[in-house]
Amino acid sequence: MIKPTDTSEPWRVGVLFSRTGFMSVIEETQLRGTLLAIDQINDSGGINGRPLEPVIYDPGSDTRSYGQLAKRLMVVDEVSTIFGCYTSASRKSVLPVVERLNGLLWYPTLYEGFEFSPNVIYTGATPNQNSMQLCSLLMKLYGDRFFFIGSDYIYPRESNRIMREMVARSGGSVVGERYVRLGASRLEFEPIMQEIKLAKPDVIFSTVVGDGTVFLYQAYSDKGFDPKKMPIASLTTCEAEIAAMGHDVGEGHLTAAPYFQGIGNNQNSEFVKSYQKRYGDDAPTNMCLESSYFQVNVFAKTLERANSLETPVLRAMVMGSEFEAPQGAVSINPNWAHADLWSRVGRANRNGQFDILFESRTTVKADPFLIGSGRCTVAAAAV
Amino acid sequence: MSRIEVLQERRLASPPQGAVRNEQSAPNNQYKAVQNLNVALIVELDSEGERLMRELQRLRCTVRHIWPVPVQLPENYDVVYCTLMEDLPRRIPWLPGEPSTTLILVDRGQDTLNLKLINNCAAHGMIHYPPTARSTIGALAMAREHFLYEQRLRGRIEKLDENLRTMRVVEKAKSIVMRTKSLGEDDAYNFLRSQAMERRVTIGVIAKAVVESFDLLN
Repeated sequence: MIKPTDTSEPWRVGVLFSRTGFMSVIEETQLRGTLLAIDQINDSGGINGRPLEPVIYDPGSDTRSYGQLAKRLMVVDEVSTIFGCYTSASRKSVLPVVERLNGLLWYPTLYEGFEFSPNVIYTGATPNQNSMQLCSLLMKLYGDRFFFIGSDYIYPRESNRIMREMVARSGGSVVGERYVRLGASRLEFEPIMQEIKLAKPDVIFSTVVGDGTVFLYQAYSDKGFDPKKMPIASLTTCEAEIAAMGHDVGEGHLTAAPYFQGIGNNQNSEFVKSYQKRYGDDAPTNMCLESSYFQVNVFAKTLERANSLETPVLRAMVMGSEFEAPQGAVSINPNWAHADLWSRVGRANRNGQFDILFESRTTVKADPFLIGSGRCTVAAAAV
Repeated sequence: MSRIEVLQERRLASPPQGAVRNEQSAPNNQYKAVQNLNVALIVELDSEGERLMRELQRLRCTVRHIWPVPVQLPENYDVVYCTLMEDLPRRIPWLPGEPSTTLILVDRGQDTLNLKLINNCAAHGMIHYPPTARSTIGALAMAREHFLYEQRLRGRIEKLDENLRTMRVVEKAKSIVMRTKSLGEDDAYNFLRSQAMERRVTIGVIAKAVVESFDLLN
């Protein structure tokens, strides 16, 4: 319902990130990014004189709970806009709910692409914005023999399928592919390390997420492997995981992402400053936190013009909108409702931060169905 | 003897009549879609409730009466009728958009219609008291149609998603088959498809096997 403009009643929005369970390390930062943006907006007077009021639930890293809580948000709390989800499995759990009840999910996480829903705005990277650039850089710096390791669910399997194609198209090979269950224990990484020792790849490409990330890098470190010769390359390991595993353990490994805390620009310094003011001087920012933060701002700018939380109105108006995000200027691509983002590859240093090895000259257009993908050596020619 | 059993006896005693009376003469048995369904009827058995039950039984539906409204609606029926109430969405165990059964709301016609509540139930149809033979059949037929259509559409979307993912592998496998067997594009595709049909797997599975074994041998 469009409410009269003279009301000061808050705009209620839903927030769904896990603060408990094996996804909490990263999702907690996404929750913080969301709340930081909401607080900043409210501190500067809200939107058209009305504050944003988050209704927050913790799905506890349980896939089914995401769908049920999305239903609760829409039915009981009468919310139509939801910010949330990290894993593809949780997004797919929320999808039927927002599609049937015509809500709008803002999804701030990189994912495997190949999806389009009229009820989702995707603000994380798709493979053409991270995998392609990472693949070519790895081939150039380390070699062309890849070993894949991932968590066993949709995102890693799909990312690896796409990566396998890119590696093959560029003349490389995949010498091993292993999956561990979501929420795998430390011990489960041991036999895989043994296998890697025998396979002698040039690069380990990891799509392990959650607590397993820490176990993987620590198992690698315990085995005495050298990141200078055979680094772990990832699309998901960011500052939050590096802090959790130990800076010495993470040093020398690579990640492709639209954002790292270490990039130098004014928006980012402001962003990092206000984040650390609130959560502590040693709290690092990361790509998922950053997209959680900027998507709330994109939403707020749109809501200001629309003055309505109705999904069809909001969605139509958000298409093509731009925002000066910490990563640089970003926009919502009207073809796909995915964000056009910056492409970067970073290498973790001793301080738990990433040194930037590659940066795209402009934003890379979202291409979730990889319609325009060529050989991946072309993409990063500017390195 | 419970009330339901009484009613079932009554059903045996009274031959089908009213709106379905011409059913025998309808050439293609047009009532087939709404007959012999397993129905859960979650309404109070007042005179209107009894009338609704009678109409359903006339359609040769197996009707199980449940009252009061359970905390969770049952899922193992073809159709669930449930009286519209304030907290009904919370009693629906499936997610909106992923219904496991046809849901028809029963409006007793007492309060103002709450459209937001109706929307939140994500149901397939609604009937209003008093239930007449015509409106019962009409609403049931429409609701079943919508439910089954929704299932088919969801199936199609799932298939499309899957196809989108496999298309790239199929393209690659096709070019391998074209090269290694010196076939044209259409023949290469038909080769993959016939292999898939013979083995009773999807073309994606065959394509993946071709691509992987090709990678392995090279």
